[in-house]
This record gives sequence, C-alpha cells and structure tokens, in this order.
Amino acid sequence: MTLELKKLADYKDIMERCIRCSMCKWIPQVQIKSWKYAQVCPSIDEYNFHAYSGGGRMIIALSLLTERIGYSEELLNIVYRCTACGACAVSCKYLNDLEPLEVIEALRKKIVEDGEGPLPAHKKYMKLTEEVHNPYGEEPSKRLDWLPSDIKVSKNSKLAYFVGCTTSYRRKEIAIATARIFNKAGVEFQLLGEDEFCCGSPILRAGGEAQVLDLIKRNIKAFKERGIETIVTSCAGCYSTLKADYPRYVKHDFKILHTSELLEQLLKEGKLKLKKEVPLTVTYHDPCHLGRCSEPYKEWHGEIMEPIPLVRFPVPPLPLRQGTYGCYYPPRNVLKAIPGLKLVEMERIKEYAYCCGAGGGVKAAFPDFALKTAGRRLEEAIDTGADTLVSCCPFCATNLQDAIKANNAPIKFYDLTELVLKAMED
Amino acid sequence: MIKDNEYEALEKIVGSQNISREPVILDTYAFQWCAELLNVINDKPPARYYLRPAAVILPSSTEEIQQIVRVCNKYGLKFKAFSTGLGPWNCVSTPRTIQIDLRRMNKIVKIDTKNQYAVVEPYVSGAQLQAEVMKFGLNCHMPGAGPQVSPLASATSMAGPGFTSASTGFAGRNVLGVEWVLPSGDLLQLGALGQKNDPDWFTGDGPGPSLRGIMRGFVGAKSGLGIFTKVAVKLYPFPSKPEWKISGESPNYKFEIPNYLKFYIINYKDWDALTNALRRFEEEEISFMCYYASRGAICASFANSREEMFSYYSIHTRLKRPLTLMIGAQTEREFEYKKKIVEGLIQETGGKDYTKKIKIRDVSYAEALRCLLGFHGFLITGCFQSTHGGMDTIEMAIRMAKLNAPIKRKFIEKGGIADDQGEGVWLATYERGHMAHCEMPTMYDATKPESVVGWVEYAHACDELDLKEHLGIPFFIEGDKQHEWYGPHCMNYHIWLRKIKEAFDPQNIADPGFYITSKKTS
Ligand SMILES: Cc1cc2nc3c(=O)[nH]c(=O)nc-3n(C[C@H](O)[C@H](O)[C@H](O)COP(=O)(O)OP(=O)(O)OC[C@H]3O[C@@H](n4cnc5c(N)ncnc54)[C@H](O)[C@@H]3O)c2cc1C
Ligand code: SF4
Ligand code: SF4
Repeated sequence: MTLELKKLADYKDIMERCIRCSMCKWIPQVQIKSWKYAQVCPSIDEYNFHAYSGGGRMIIALSLLTERIGYSEELLNIVYRCTACGACAVSCKYLNDLEPLEVIEALRKKIVEDGEGPLPAHKKYMKLTEEVHNPYGEEPSKRLDWLPSDIKVSKNSKLAYFVGCTTSYRRKEIAIATARIFNKAGVEFQLLGEDEFCCGSPILRAGGEAQVLDLIKRNIKAFKERGIETIVTSCAGCYSTLKADYPRYVKHDFKILHTSELLEQLLKEGKLKLKKEVPLTVTYHDPCHLGRCSEPYKEWHGEIMEPIPLVRFPVPPLPLRQGTYGCYYPPRNVLKAIPGLKLVEMERIKEYAYCCGAGGGVKAAFPDFALKTAGRRLEEAIDTGADTLVSCCPFCATNLQDAIKANNAPIKFYDLTELVLKAMED
Repeated sequence: MIKDNEYEALEKIVGSQNISREPVILDTYAFQWCAELLNVINDKPPARYYLRPAAVILPSSTEEIQQIVRVCNKYGLKFKAFSTGLGPWNCVSTPRTIQIDLRRMNKIVKIDTKNQYAVVEPYVSGAQLQAEVMKFGLNCHMPGAGPQVSPLASATSMAGPGFTSASTGFAGRNVLGVEWVLPSGDLLQLGALGQKNDPDWFTGDGPGPSLRGIMRGFVGAKSGLGIFTKVAVKLYPFPSKPEWKISGESPNYKFEIPNYLKFYIINYKDWDALTNALRRFEEEEISFMCYYASRGAICASFANSREEMFSYYSIHTRLKRPLTLMIGAQTEREFEYKKKIVEGLIQETGGKDYTKKIKIRDVSYAEALRCLLGFHGFLITGCFQSTHGGMDTIEMAIRMAKLNAPIKRKFIEKGGIADDQGEGVWLATYERGHMAHCEMPTMYDATKPESVVGWVEYAHACDELDLKEHLGIPFFIEGDKQHEWYGPHCMNYHIWLRKIKEAFDPQNIADPGFYITSKKTS
C-alpha cells in the first residue's frame, strides 16, 4: 500500500475488516475461464484449511495480536507455508482494499522480532548471508565463476548487471546468456563480483527486517561508490527487492531494470536483432516478483475522513498495489520478436499468475510443497500445448526444472535470455 | 472439548493431515463475516469471532462423511457442514461441534447439456461452474453473494436469491437430484436419483421420493438436517453469445461485451410506476436481469472505488426509483425484437432511460454475468448485512420497501447504521415476475461496537415490522429463540419444523443452532 513501514499492530483495522469472502483463494472472479485453473493460492491448494489462505493468515495475525492464541509450531508452519506470492492481495483488492500480503509480511517480521522464528532453514540461510553474502553458503570469491573469458566487462559503466546469488551460483546459464546478449548488443556493463552481496530478498521474505536493513544500506553504498546509475538484473526477486522494497527503507534514485525491459528497449532501438528462427511453441510463466510484487509502494500523506458517518474515505485516495503495473509485457514482447517462435498463454497470467512455488522461503523450508506447486504450474503449461516453458527468474527456473525432472514432464524449460541468445546466434 | 479417543476416531477416517484441533486453525473458522452481529444477538460483546469448533475435518468423499457422522453419533459430538463458508451461519453454535469443511469435495460430476443440468460437489464455485457450462452455451444461477460461493450450499441449504433471478430463478427452486448424508450417517437420494432402476439426477420430484420442501424449505436448514454431498442444479441458456474475452490488468479490465447483451437503467418517478414497470417488463419475458436497487446501490455497483462511487453523486440525486434491466439474445433479430419491446415499455410505463448517463463500464457486463455486482456493497463501509428477505409478490416487496424506509431513517438518526436516507433496497423478481423478494442491505462498521449494536436493533425492528405487516419470513429467523417468537404468528410453523428435525435428528447431531432444536434428546 504505502511507502511507510508498518508494524503488525498498525494493520489491526485491516485484519478486523476481512469479510472472509474467500476471494483471495481464487483468481479475480471475472478472469475465471475454467474449473481447473480458477484457484490462485498455492498454500491453500496444498493444505486446504482456511488458515492457509491470505484471509486465513489475516485472522491468525489478528488472533496472535489480540492474544487469543500464542506461538506454536503449527502457527509457524502455517505462516511460513506461504510463498508470499501476493496473488491473494490482487484478488482481494479487485473489489476491496485490504492487504493480506502486507499483513503476512508484518506477521513474519513480528515472529522474528519476538524471537520465535523464522524456521531453522531460514535461520541457516540468513546466517550464511551474513557470513558469505549469499544464502547458499558459497565462497564470495567464486561469485564470478560463471563468467566466460570471452565476455567483455566494463570497469566504469554506469550500468551494472546485478547477477544475484541464485543466478551466480545455481543458474549460471542465465548469467552467461545475459552477458553474451549485452556484449552482442553493445551494452556496456560492470559486474560487482565479490562486492555483489545478496539483495536481501530471502531474508526480507522470512521476516528478517533488522538484518536486511544493514544489507540494503551496504548495497546502496556499494552502488554509489561505483558510480552506478542503472541496475539491470535477470532475477525477479532481486528486481522487486531493489525496486519496490529498498525505497521503503532507504530512498534511492537508481534506475532498476529487469533484463526483459532492457531487451525490449534494445529491440525498439534496433540494437538487438533477432534473426535466427527458434521454432518452439512456448508459454510464459510470470514470476510473482517480476509481475504483481514489483509494483513500487507510494507515498501517502492523507487522512481517513468520514464525510458521512461510518463511511470511511481516505483523502487523497489510498494508493493500492493491485498488480496493475507489474512487468508483464516486456518479456512477452521480446518473445514475440523471436522469429519462428509461437507464444501461447496459460489461463493464469500476469497479475493473477499462479506462483511457481519457490518463493517466500518455501523452497528452503518446505521443498516438497515447493515441488508440488511447481507441478501444478507445469500441468497448466503443458495444457496449453506448448513444448517449452519460459520464464525470467532463476528461482522459478530452479523450481520448475526440479518439477520437470521429478515428474518427467514433457516440456523443456528456458530462461528468456537463453532463447534470445539462440535467436541472435549467427 | 474433544477427547483424544474421539479425535483419533475421526483422524482414522481422513488421515492426520486432514483434521486439526489446533487453536491457530480453529480460530480461522470462528472468525466470520457478521459474527459480531451474531454475538450481539446472543447477548455477547460484538467480537469478530464466534465459537471455536472442537475440530475441523476435511473429508474427501461421501463415504468419509458418513463415517464422520457415525463417529459423531457414537460420541455425542455435533457437526456443522461448510462449503465455501461465507457468513455467520457457518459458525458452530455449541462447543463440542466438529466443523466439516467440504473443500476437498470440489468436482463437477456431470454436465448434462441435453437435459440442462449439472451435478456438483460442495466446493465447486459458481464461477467455476459457469465457466464450464458456458462452453456448451449454458448458464447457472448464482446467489447475490457472488461467484466465489458454492451453488450446492445455496441450492440445498441457504437462501438463494440472485441478480439474475428473473431468468435463473431462486436457488431453492433449481434443485434436482440430491445426495444427502442424514444426521444418522445414512445416505438418502432424492428425486430420480432414488430410483431403483436407472437412477439419474434429472428431477427432484418423483418418480423417486421428493422431500425437497423438507430438505430446505424457504431459507434452508443451514446444516441442521445433515450434509449434502452432491446436487444436480438446473442450467439455463447463456443469455447471449457465450463468449468471455477479457484483457488488461486488475482492476482496469476491459471486457469485450458479447454480442446481443444490453444493460438499461430506467428511472421511475415513484413506487407505483416502478411496480407497474416491474410487472410489465416481466410479463413480456424478455429480461435476463430485472431488479430494483436503490440509487446509492446503483452508484456502488457500477463503481470500483469509493471515489468513483461518489463521483456519480449528480446522477444519484436525479434517480428516483430506478429499474435495472439486462436483456440478452442469441441472434440479431431476437435482440432487435427485445430492444424494441424495452423501448415500447419505457414509453408505456412512463420511465426515463438513464443508461447513458451512468457510465456503465464494459467490465460491469462481466460482473453482471458473473454475479459480482452485489459485492460492490462492501465498498461503502466495508461491511453490510441485509434485513428482511420475505418473498412473495412484486406488490408485497414494494410495500416492504415503502414501510421500511421511515424505520430505517429512525435508526440512521440514532447513529448506528450508515446513512442511505433509508433507501437501501434490493428487490428482485423471480421466474418472470411470478415472485419477488425484497431485502434492505444495511451498511455498518463491523469494528465499531455501537454500529454493530445499531444494526442489531434496527434488524429487530425490521423483524417486528415483517410480523406486523405480514411481509413474509425474513432470511435470518433462525435458531430456537427466533422461531419460537415467529412461529405462533405464522400458523405455528415452528412446531412442524421441530417435528422434521426430530424425525431426522432426534439427538441434535447436526448442529441445530441456525435451524431448530429437537426436544427429544435423551
Ligand atoms: C455481497 C453479498 C451478497 C449476498 N447476496 C445474497 C443473495 O443474493 N442471495 C443469497 O442467498 N445470499 C446472499 N448472501 C448471503 C449468502 O447466501 C451467503 O453468504 C452464501 O450463500 C453462503 O455462502 P456459501 O455458498 O459459501 O455457503 P456456506 O457458507 O458454505 O453455507 C451456507 C450455509 O449452508 C450450510 N451448508 C453449506 N454446505 C452444506 C452442505 N453441503 N450440507 C449441508 N449444509 C451445508 C452451512 O452450514 C451454512 O449454514 C450475500 C452475501 C454477500 C456477502
Ligand atoms: S483477505 Fe480479502 S479476499 Fe480474503 S477473505 Fe479477507 S476480505 Fe476476502
Ligand atoms: S501470498 Fe500467495 S501463497 Fe501466501 S496466502 Fe497469498 S496467495 Fe497464498
């Protein structure tokens, strides 16, 4: 909602206003086109009790805040078996103005503040991030191990390619493709190398606010010292963290771009030429953090008026993050520019896309749940008749590819950059 | 609460992952839309939570439900069914009650396109069913609560008016075959489903036994008579070309209005003119939707924010008694014919066409087709609940609206309920005007105790008005106290209702809190 950071108690009024309508379990009602793909919350799809929905978690938060319930293992499990994908918030806010996702995030922060969480898997990656600046516990000196020797990197470009931990250590193919495309298209970029620390996304999603603040300050300082003006990232998690979350803690004026946005821009400017046929039928998975969750928060200085008794009226209107302005079209436009490639859409797309299942600390703490959710998404992708699933996020890539393997699914996976590179090859 | 051996017996049926007695889970079933009203009605503080169930269980089949009900019988536990679960009538009314959440029973069992019915399980939503039957050019009835709720719950157990009732009827009249787990755990099949040879779903009355009236009556037993596990509901032709093309991003969706569909807002100068118009439009059998919603409700239903709603203020002041009409057709010729009738009737009934003055966004057409207009009611204060609900003739419905306004104004002045000038009314026609119902959506603030109390006091005055003026039975006459108050004024129906309960459930195993209690308990 607003730029202002709030504590759980500040959301009490919002929690009390939940009408338990369950809209948050479904994609926006006017978008429903079939029985099969009508639901939107991976968590309740797996665990079924109302507690596992966005609205359910608002009730839990209210119960905890008002001391109707105390901490328990079950409570922690419920709170963290949620990918923080934000789909519930989009559906709720189609006709209401509550903030289930913000409440979930505030609840996680409270749990950490109270010393009751996060879960051991999250604590482990938080500690590793503190020690070696990435949640995987990899050596900082190996951060650029992916970098082929023939890639040209600039030392003083104002544009930085922020590779991100997952891409650097686990999805090197995305880093390589991105760097090659940049070289071919004449985009000068610098890499931070060992000086690139985790953006803080995994910590933030688990509720580690205090820890993330240090990281944010440190990263912003590092960008400034290097004279960086534009940060390009191929990771959806880094993108939304830098673009939407950072300004809530420390204001900055860096331009944050996702690779897909830069590629779209290069195509428009004629700097990127895609000539080679890539004869694939692809369907595109919108990463939650590139789409609905990337919308920046807005400043709001106003008052809740009551022009008519009991009718609350925020003046000026409260800015709502409804998923309206996520990054949906750049990846699609780039795909459409690839010769020979046919793009077919899944039913749940853009602001009401179904999550891949990895986010919010779920992949670390509940890998089976993550895999099942990815399996559901794969089924939808396969139902389109596509032979290839494409996305724009290394974390989605990992989870979806894990599910392809686990299910022996008849579909291939590529990152957008890999397909672009194929179309550029001579 | 629930003892370990009782819990274990239930756990055996569904597996440990599908049952819980953790307070963190139970609380999410105690919190309900309007639970604060229920608390005040029962002389408790206006909390947003009602009672916690003893446990929540998630069965996946009729057989599992039968076993659960038998365990309840064995240990003297009560049960309360819950489909999509919107509203205080889903709350358990006594502590040793198991909430049976039917979410895992979510299949569309059958779509019979030739005989125009569909068989659904409890957790199929209206939007899901509509999306599937549209593929065959068909449509289903949905209650005004919206497309996210369960057609099965609405058809078998809970009220059932809807915005499209002019053409899709009342939920309780759309029920065909029914599969029903009785409070004993036995299975009862109604309608043609009960036939020995070739059982099927196509009719709710004979050749098999018909107990439809007993099953739900007017407002439904709200789980007080057992659990419905499958139901066949009537389908209707989709009102226009069954196309659904929607683009853009929330909330700015653009809907390609399918061919041959048109909204009208026709303003009438007074109640008499409106009564005549409702009757005449329905006599011509042309409408897909035909209802009266007060001017404030019209502004809310076509806006998607409070700001937009208030921007309609100038129209608001000019509208008097607006009739909302939607027509649909399958062919150009049929469409032209219907449009001509509408134009002729506007002339004949002295109406004024306001359609162009209200900016009806294309997505409002999608919301109308998908029964989402009522949900806009939450825009105003964040919460509302209706009073009254009687169903009879158009004349009675109008009389109710007229009589209610001064009473509502009195309570608005007192300060508990929001100011709609006493005008907040939704009055819909059914089955081509053969019936009509009227209710008074009343805005209040669920988080303010004085507002909650204000709503309850106003609702009580409405109930009294219904009795005094013979305005039918309100929706929310439920539970012993209310029935025993109302029954003696209405041919002692409560005695008969209790006899039904006692015949089906002498031990009150099915939570009687929103129905009536058997006095035969041992
Ligand atoms: C904006 C708005 C508008 C509304 N307008 C209308 C309207 O126009 N018409 C109307 O009828 N209602 C209306 N309502 C109230 C509405 O009916 C209920 O809220 C809704 O229909 C019940 O929700 P549900 O379908 O999720 O059923 P549930 O809430 O799941 O169940 C409703 C009742 O039936 C019982 N029940 C559910 N499933 C079963 C089962 N399988 N077996 C036995 N008992 C069962 C439950 O115990 C409960 O008492 C409106 C509500 C809102 C919020
Ligand atoms: S969070 Fe929003 S959508 Fe979900 S139940 Fe509450 S009000 Fe409804
Ligand atoms: S954030 Fe995603 S997983 Fe979590 S409750 Fe909302 S929709 Fe469900």
